Amino acid sequence: MRDVFDIAILGAGPAGGNAALASVQQGLRTVLLDEQPSAGGQVWRARSASILAAPETPESRAGAHLRSKLSTSDITYLKDARVWQIAREGDIWQLQVLSGGQSDAVEANALILATGAREFVQPVPGWTTPGVIGLAGATALFKQNLTLPGRRTVVSGTGPLLFYVASEIRRLGGEVAAVVTPNTRADWLRALPALAGKPRLLGRGALWIADLMLARVPIYWGHAVTEVLGHDAVSDVKIARLDAEWAPQKHVATIGADSLCLGNGLIPQIEPAQMLGVPIHYDAALGGWVPDVSPDGVTTIASLYLCGDGTGIRGANAAALQGRLVGLRVAADLGRNTQQARTAAQRAWRRAACFGRSMTVLSVARPGLQAVTSEDTIICRCESITRRQLLEEIDKGAASANAVKSGLRVGMGPCGGKFCQTAIAALIAKSRGRDVSTVAPPTARPPLRPVPLGAAAGSFDYDDLPIPKPAPL
Amino acid sequence: MTYDIAIVGGGIMGCSTALRLAEDGMRPVVLDQGDLAQGASGVNAGTLSLQIKRVKLMPYALKGHHLWAKMGDAVGFVKTGGYTLAFNAREAELLQERQTLKAQAGAPIEFVSNNHLRAAEPALTQSVVAASYCAEDGYANASLTGQYYRGRLKDAGIEYHEQCAVSAISKGGVFELLSPHGTIRAKRLLLAAGAWLKPLAALLDVDLPVTARINTVSVTERIPALINTVIGHATGLLTMKQKANGTVLIGGGWQGRGTPQDGRGEVDTATVRSNLALAQYAVPALGAARVLRSWTGFEANVPDFYPLAGALPGVSDAFVLGCVRGGYTIGPYIGQLMGDLILGRAPEMPLFDPGRDFQEEAI
Amino acid sequence: MIRLVADQSAQIRRAAEVRFSFDGADIIGHAGENLAAALLRAGCLILRNAPHDDTPRGAFCCMGLCQECVVRIDGQVVEACRSEVAEGLIVERAG
Repeated sequence: MRDVFDIAILGAGPAGGNAALASVQQGLRTVLLDEQPSAGGQVWRARSASILAAPETPESRAGAHLRSKLSTSDITYLKDARVWQIAREGDIWQLQVLSGGQSDAVEANALILATGAREFVQPVPGWTTPGVIGLAGATALFKQNLTLPGRRTVVSGTGPLLFYVASEIRRLGGEVAAVVTPNTRADWLRALPALAGKPRLLGRGALWIADLMLARVPIYWGHAVTEVLGHDAVSDVKIARLDAEWAPQKHVATIGADSLCLGNGLIPQIEPAQMLGVPIHYDAALGGWVPDVSPDGVTTIASLYLCGDGTGIRGANAAALQGRLVGLRVAADLGRNTQQARTAAQRAWRRAACFGRSMTVLSVARPGLQAVTSEDTIICRCESITRRQLLEEIDKGAASANAVKSGLRVGMGPCGGKFCQTAIAALIAKSRGRDVSTVAPPTARPPLRPVPLGAAAGSFDYDDLPIPKPAPL
Repeated sequence: MTYDIAIVGGGIMGCSTALRLAEDGMRPVVLDQGDLAQGASGVNAGTLSLQIKRVKLMPYALKGHHLWAKMGDAVGFVKTGGYTLAFNAREAELLQERQTLKAQAGAPIEFVSNNHLRAAEPALTQSVVAASYCAEDGYANASLTGQYYRGRLKDAGIEYHEQCAVSAISKGGVFELLSPHGTIRAKRLLLAAGAWLKPLAALLDVDLPVTARINTVSVTERIPALINTVIGHATGLLTMKQKANGTVLIGGGWQGRGTPQDGRGEVDTATVRSNLALAQYAVPALGAARVLRSWTGFEANVPDFYPLAGALPGVSDAFVLGCVRGGYTIGPYIGQLMGDLILGRAPEMPLFDPGRDFQEEAI
Repeated sequence: MIRLVADQSAQIRRAAEVRFSFDGADIIGHAGENLAAALLRAGCLILRNAPHDDTPRGAFCCMGLCQECVVRIDGQVVEACRSEVAEGLIVERAG
């Protein structure tokens, strides 16, 4: 008889990790799955085994703290575990998990999806050049491997992540060629009231900016990257000033660099929830398409809960608090008395969520930025489809994300549309004079990650093949 | 304004009929609940194989193949030839019996030796016991169907409405169809909504015995050339083809979950795994290829598995076209026949009375 | 020059060096290091060429999602950013 857990949690970042801790503390048999070798998600990503010693940072401490609590708990923790399919089989959730080249099933009564976020990059000419990495991707390099993207890096993007990445490059001995941000000083001043309640964060941020200024690293406020030069590698980065709606104006500088970190905010990873039938809606201030879910993680799908940045970008602290809240809620739904703890947890979450939202608002790209994508810019990286090709397809009548995908293969490549879908939806909306909130993402399908056919197929005995009724002749 | 005919369902059936009607001066309007050809027409595996067609539908399939070849690059048509495989004695017997009848019905199908098969498809498992071959077999790219017909309808000046689900149909002097785009009026009506025919016909109190199978298709990442033709299986449980871009499409009618009313349907884990396992059995080197996506599509059928193609029972000036077994292949041709019928001409091949007794093998 | 953010690179200690290969070339990394990171540090930015337009590609999202960093190890296509280096590892291009 197979082991059925009380709760399965997909994603061991701040949200999932804390959901697991809350759940196991209530005596529930909990399995936590994550595709990385260690828990921590993106923001609290652990160092690889190749790092024997390195100075701690607030993020590394937070991650170590979570990992330590997880390891001393009764949580069944499955690492390097890639969930490629999820389905309801009768009364339970069945997850197909790829680990070590093999696929196995994990079953649980309740399921919490804590799938986090990925980044959004508005495509820019040359963004596919080796040496261009995402802003959040850069943090993965730093945290896991203490590795720099190059010797001389332009850092470009929105929100606080930008300054974090720039300061990390300096801390790890690299050179920041320039910091480029569509945000203006005024945008940041508007965010000050929210930051006033976070003196440590404010202090850190101010330190990073002061350090850059002292080091004479140019900070281009209200600017964006408009082109990456170089073919096999980055040689230069061109930038332009932006107008109030973030549309690029005149070219301002060409900066020599061998690498570029580029990002325009984070998007919730909603595909697993979408695939399981959770309705979604558009909320620009939360990063775009988000699932319909209550603060304590409840969806319209029985026994399916969501928490963390996968429900809307609110930041690591909010994610951690919501994880705990949702873990407690699932416990309540499974018969435990957690009412008091939940009330307190929800209050704490609301405060953190409010702050997180104000940072996200800074990070979300304004529509004018779409103009950095020229006619010949590749939008779908996997299939090398350009803006021009997409506009032609839309002009010929393709009016939905699914229709454009069918006609041009955008989103049919290995990444499954993760890095092109947002820009394409905006293009469809603009061409058709619609609001982007009316261009729904394409249908979410399994596998949730590419899976080797042999692993997905499992063991097979030809004689076990069902003999179908012969097709009508 | 009153159209000459309202066609509900903008897949291959509805669109090919519309084109024939417009050729002769009729003014159709095509309505689809979603994007054109996002039903079976757009999500099937694209197989164009005479070896899997019903014996009595073979003449239609041959005409259909001819039309697909004419559509050519615009729909990604490729004639690769195709093999149907048998892996044991029972399958070999089935293969022998069926392919012989299909060859007699006009398909250029022959049985081939093991050596022939090895030379043509070196990546196949050694466990093949018998195989048949048809040089006319191939495939097209089902994903391109929607955009293809949008272009053709536009070129023919045919009006179409997407995201336009019909919620009510009444018949006074003309048909009045209630839709999100307002009330559409037409002198005639063609129901061509595939898996959605039953609820659609019910709007006119007509009961069509339409059911839907939920077929699963999977696609891999690009891999180096491994499969050269369209591969089928004596029981129909496997179809495989490798496209020019290197991706391998795997199908075989494995059943997913869901109903047409619920939306697109869902992949069933157990059946897709069996489908993939069978693919790996046939071509062992596929094991390392990563599957990028699996999906389902609805295939509509009536109890005798022959088409519905003719007058809608009990409603004058109304017609129905769908549930064609092998609809992707035969669709472009049977749409022309349907158009001829509606125009008052005798179609060059017999159609299939939707009012027939489905229990009797009347066809 | 005053630095408010100190250069801490000298305080990083990495595991023992290991030799592995990529596309036939010998590369030095550290035991347990992320493959994409090791290749980056060794100056191997181009991991493959894109199928349609043959443009050079390398690691982009560094999170196992974009599939730009895929390589072939033991006949299996995998993301370099989700793989680890080890002594004697043979890594081939996947495209």
